[in-house]
Amino acid sequence: MLKNSALIFGFNNYATEIVKNVQNEYNSVSIYSLDEKDIENKEYNIKHFDLSDDWDEIEESVSIVDSIAFCTLEDIAENIFLVISLRATYKDLTIIAIASHKESANKLLMAGANKVIPLVETTADIITNMLESPVSNGILHDMLYNKSELKIAQIKIGSESHIKDEELSSIDWSHYHGIIVLSVMHKDMSSEFIYSSKARRHIINEDDVLVVVGYETDIKEFEKKIGSNRYVNWSHWSW
Amino acid sequence: MLKRLILDASYALDTSKSYQARKKFFKNLLENNKYKYKKYVDIFMMTLIFASVAVLIREVKHPIHDYLFYFNSYVISIIFFIEYILRFWIHSSMSKIIINQAEHDSLLSRDFNLSKALKKILKLKASYIFSITAIIDLLAVMPFFHELRLLRLFILFRVFKLFRYANSFQTLASVLATKKFEFFTLGIFASIVIFVSSVLIYVMEANNPNSPIDTLFEAVYWSIVTISTVGYGDIVPTSYEGRIVALIVITAGIAVLAFTTSLVVSAFTEKLDEIKEVKTVEDIIKLKHFYLVCGYESVAKDVVRKLVKRGNAIIILDEDPLRVEEATKDGFKALNYDPGKLESYKKLHINMQTQIRAVLCLRESDVANVYTALTIRSLNKNLQILSLLMEESNRKKLQFAGINTLIYPQELIGLITKELVGQPVAFEIIHELRSEESNVHIRELAVTQRIIDSFSTVGELGNKKFRVILLGVYKKDTGRFYFNPLDNTFIENGDFLLVIGNRVFIKEFETYIHTKVKDA
Repeated sequence: MLKNSALIFGFNNYATEIVKNVQNEYNSVSIYSLDEKDIENKEYNIKHFDLSDDWDEIEESVSIVDSIAFCTLEDIAENIFLVISLRATYKDLTIIAIASHKESANKLLMAGANKVIPLVETTADIITNMLESPVSNGILHDMLYNKSELKIAQIKIGSESHIKDEELSSIDWSHYHGIIVLSVMHKDMSSEFIYSSKARRHIINEDDVLVVVGYETDIKEFEKKIGSNRYVNWSHWSW
Repeated sequence: MLKRLILDASYALDTSKSYQARKKFFKNLLENNKYKYKKYVDIFMMTLIFASVAVLIREVKHPIHDYLFYFNSYVISIIFFIEYILRFWIHSSMSKIIINQAEHDSLLSRDFNLSKALKKILKLKASYIFSITAIIDLLAVMPFFHELRLLRLFILFRVFKLFRYANSFQTLASVLATKKFEFFTLGIFASIVIFVSSVLIYVMEANNPNSPIDTLFEAVYWSIVTISTVGYGDIVPTSYEGRIVALIVITAGIAVLAFTTSLVVSAFTEKLDEIKEVKTVEDIIKLKHFYLVCGYESVAKDVVRKLVKRGNAIIILDEDPLRVEEATKDGFKALNYDPGKLESYKKLHINMQTQIRAVLCLRESDVANVYTALTIRSLNKNLQILSLLMEESNRKKLQFAGINTLIYPQELIGLITKELVGQPVAFEIIHELRSEESNVHIRELAVTQRIIDSFSTVGELGNKKFRVILLGVYKKDTGRFYFNPLDNTFIENGDFLLVIGNRVFIKEFETYIHTKVKDA
């Protein structure tokens, strides 16, 4: 687990759905609302907050730096203000924000959110994929929502890995049964599809990251074979 | 006895499938603008008309070949006469009128009144015979009697037949017909001005030896030329009084012209939306497949844009004229029809089962979406319906309305955030593969018999040569997905190949597997 607690700003349907889905991932999940009336809600433990830069009250109960913040205020201007306010105070805080449209999503990113989910575009993408690519959509959906044994993982090349210093195109991946390598992420965080011209001539370096698809046991086997480990870095996120 | 015979014949015709089918076929061919073969008949008839006029013009100063003469006088006339008779036949059903009369009389325990039925038939058929279009049709046949020179000029009546075949002429006529009263008033006004000015100018100028106006006909000719603002100048008033009359007529002429122009413009402006709607409906009828989107709000806008980008036809129905206007401005086919009303679908004249790929209820209101879904379900039980769900508490209601797939945005956000924090890598990659902007893309390629004829196993596909990753094979029959299949895995008709790669390379690979023919 990367962070200890989740802070959800805003109390609405989005917030309750987020609570439902992430409560098992964190030691504590706290909801903060701008509306004092929400405190009376019996189903959820809701605390009041305002948009001033005073975070001391929240700091008393949780360590904000070790938390992940979900900004779900429905008023987009207030949500942007909240993100700016959090980012100005906590440089390393992971902030996930919800936006109605891509236009406001860009503003939230500019305000300092690590990740923004644009509601309209996301919903439209899902509807379009359901209609146009039902098979691939179903398989990717199952992969993503743990309904399938298939997984996507990032494997970081360690100093001891025996594929280090080899040209990517010279490696016969069929030796690694049950694994498909999709892309390689360089040190500078730019990633290349495995069959792109640039990637084919790439010499695998230490700290390069391979993105692979496979069953859990095969991925573990692959990790062992190449002498590397799974790797996640939140700072690599980009929309 | 005669009555019995006529009644039996009427029942025989009315119940004869082949007779009714033939009648329906000709009715569609001649009168149904939505019938796909009608336009060919229209084009054929228009070609005959132009050929006929061309022959008439040619023979004014040049001798024409006999075959052209006979073609023009006999062949075209006979074709037009056959058309006239067919239109007469399909205009109304004599057998139906007789049967209705017989059943009506029998219900009232009276003897069958044949003369009453015949009167009704005569009245109906006469209404056709004396309609302007039928008179033009008949006059167009007259050149058949070419011995009578005057009758040959009736060829020109064939030009009027163009009104029948060109939809735009019909539109023009229907637009101008909406201003019948205004045109009538204008006509009365213009006639009075012409009459008064003609008499006045005649009185003022007829006795003047220097004036070119000598007869009442010349006075009327001058008045019409002047009031129409044409003013040839061949006849001009010379007396002082006559010029005063001219000033009045010129002023009245400007008013008449301005009034006429404004009438035509206003008639078109008022009917413009209706004309556009008719055109849109005609375009929709011609579509083979399309997605029917009900409502044009934020999610709908994005879905429509994405589906159109992928080459799909979309029809938008919305009861709000402002949203329809917005959709039209965005370049989509949209109609200001309420998707919740049966009448809207009747007006569309579409085959829901074959033409609609799926119905998307994308109003941001559960009430509106339930209403639309129920309307569509009442028309078709099998259509795929997808809908937005705005409130979780309404889920059961929407399911009960017959919606197949529900999209609840709040739930999606919950699931997405879970993946964001739990499997960020998978989330990123999958999002990237699904994204329209990304170069690397996932595609599902349907396996057809043609592909099977060339490739029987996965290994033979040679996807690596095209720099394409074969993620797996989806077997539609069993619903199972075979990830990273071995080279000797058989592929079957109906399977789907899930491939990942650059869009261009996937396209090349797809073309290759579809076109490769196995060596003998």
